[in-house]
Amino acid sequence: MRDASWSSTMEVSFALTGNGYVLLAADMSAVHSIIKVKTDVDKIKELSPHLLMSTSGEPGDTVQFAEYIERNLRLYHIRNIYPLQPPSAASWIRRELADSLRSRSPYSVNLLLGGYDTGTYTPHLYWIDYLGTLAEVPFAAHGYGSYFALSLLDRYHDPEATLEEGLAVLRRCVDEVSKRLVVDPGKYLVKVVDKDGIRVVEL
Amino acid sequence: MATAGGGAYSYSLTVFSPSGKLVQIEHALAAVAQGTTSLGIKASNGIVIATEKKSSSILIDDSVIEKVAVICPNIGIVYSGMGPDFRVLVTRARKSAQAYWKIHGEYPPTKILTQEIANIMQQATHSGYVISYDGTNFGALISVLAHRGVRPYGVSLLVAGWDITRGPTLYQVDPSGSFWAWKASAIGKNMVNAKTFLEKRYNDEISLEDAIHTALLTLKEGFEGQMTEKTIEIGVVTVPSLAELEAGKVEGTGRYKPTFRKLTEEEVRDYLAL
Amino acid sequence: MQYNGGSVIAMAGKDCVAIASDLRLGVQSLGISSNFQRVFPVTDRIYIGLPGLATDVTTLHEQFRYRVNMYTIKEEREIEPQAFTQMVSSTLYERRFGPWFIEPVIAGMQKMPNGEYSPWIAATDLIGCINFAKDFVVAGTASEKLFGVAEGLWEPDLEPDDLFETISQTLLNAVDRDAYSGWGAVVHVITKDKVVTRTLKGRMD
Repeated sequence: MRDASWSSTMEVSFALTGNGYVLLAADMSAVHSIIKVKTDVDKIKELSPHLLMSTSGEPGDTVQFAEYIERNLRLYHIRNIYPLQPPSAASWIRRELADSLRSRSPYSVNLLLGGYDTGTYTPHLYWIDYLGTLAEVPFAAHGYGSYFALSLLDRYHDPEATLEEGLAVLRRCVDEVSKRLVVDPGKYLVKVVDKDGIRVVEL
Repeated sequence: MATAGGGAYSYSLTVFSPSGKLVQIEHALAAVAQGTTSLGIKASNGIVIATEKKSSSILIDDSVIEKVAVICPNIGIVYSGMGPDFRVLVTRARKSAQAYWKIHGEYPPTKILTQEIANIMQQATHSGYVISYDGTNFGALISVLAHRGVRPYGVSLLVAGWDITRGPTLYQVDPSGSFWAWKASAIGKNMVNAKTFLEKRYNDEISLEDAIHTALLTLKEGFEGQMTEKTIEIGVVTVPSLAELEAGKVEGTGRYKPTFRKLTEEEVRDYLAL
Repeated sequence: MQYNGGSVIAMAGKDCVAIASDLRLGVQSLGISSNFQRVFPVTDRIYIGLPGLATDVTTLHEQFRYRVNMYTIKEEREIEPQAFTQMVSSTLYERRFGPWFIEPVIAGMQKMPNGEYSPWIAATDLIGCINFAKDFVVAGTASEKLFGVAEGLWEPDLEPDDLFETISQTLLNAVDRDAYSGWGAVVHVITKDKVVTRTLKGRMD
């Protein structure tokens, strides 16, 4: 059994929905014990033209699991011409983690899944943890950042907000974590998914 | 090699003959047609299944032979054809009924149990594997139990039972694994004559008592030797009344009291005397 | 059982049953969602509540949906509460030595031999031991409190509207004393020919 120290790393990720979009933000640092080894890591995978997934957790697992999911969703897209829509993708990813949990070597990966449903024209955001817990939510966070961000989001989140307004709320979360968490996670990567697809946006 | 009818195809179980037949299955039906006659009649208030019990020597203790078998409290079956094959099917059917009870807390409806037996018989027609339905896994796990050279089961069955959704029902299962519901049917040696006889005698309003007499009369048609309580076996399904259903329910488990039973030798003797 | 929180209660009334649950999903003391459904329809007359570990809530819901669908197709009839309760029990017992962390609560209207329907409520432990009750069953992190309040408020032969009031008050007041349950509630009142579902507001602290 591997140790569970990953759960107490300083990784931070947030996400929130707005009017026709989902915003995902994740820190860009790779940490080994007390050493910051990289500051340009992309932890938000682009799973399909309208689906984003941020990963955090045990370092090796996050990459392995994200690639496994990415390749399988790509295969689905190729086989069926249409990609899996967010609710179906979320359900399948959850099942992979739930099955993994009771296997000999479980993945230790927490996820935020944000997507735009091109069938119903609605944004979806899912909070998924390494146990296979799945919840559709208006906003979400993983890691120590969640203790600061969730209360801010409770106060300031607006499901009908414009992208600019959404980014402003996200900025509040990032600033609060920088200010109050003992170690500043540093730079963040922010991606948005809406009817036009996926883009990186500046905070 | 091989014989006149099937040519080179007659020994291979899984190979179709050019005319589209699986000849081994036809041979199995021939084995059934040599077996003693059995029949079943569905009455307005129940079902009767009956068979002739013939032993090749007077030295055989025929009180031990059982051709009508109870599968679970609401279902019984009778066969024509090969005794040992029947015994195996009875064991499998009883196990299946208990597996069903273990999951659902009630015994299977007649149709479900019939399907279960029919599947077992069908599987013997198309491969060299014995495939088991694992009752604890809701059919999700089909496991290969053993590799055996198989032949079709050499029996036809009549399955009679009662359940709350379909009431009393009578099914016939053949070696191919096909099954149908009947109002009345006969299998075995005299099946053609017996069926003609039943067609003449049957009506939808027939009572269970009359059906039992019709059953005996039909058996008598092709009977060799003396018809006695020793050479006849009868099983009956009775439809429980509402009061019986409510009273017979055991608290908590919700089990009903038996609706299928075999007639005792005394009861058979009384019917023969009439 | 304490990890994600959540509680479910079912009560029997006169020709009706009710099942209710809170809507909180948490990770220990941290609240994640205030709209996490853990009570699901099985048939038009059966509902099941699955309090416990949230990942297993989803997995078991999917498992039961699969098995009930297979039952309906094979048997060409809808499953009755009693047979469904047995199915739940044997499904959980399959994992006797590595259980699902769920304590299901089942509420439904059982078809009787005379064609009428009678209330059916039952609960099981995490390995499938059935507890069949005539009055009420409880499960989840607020189960002790639910027992207490239900014991005080429940009475026999409540009509659907009164049963709704009783189960709602029982649940809301019990979860207010439990840190792991709350954040809103959902109540289903089942009668032989319809189900009325209402979402309740609760304290958000």
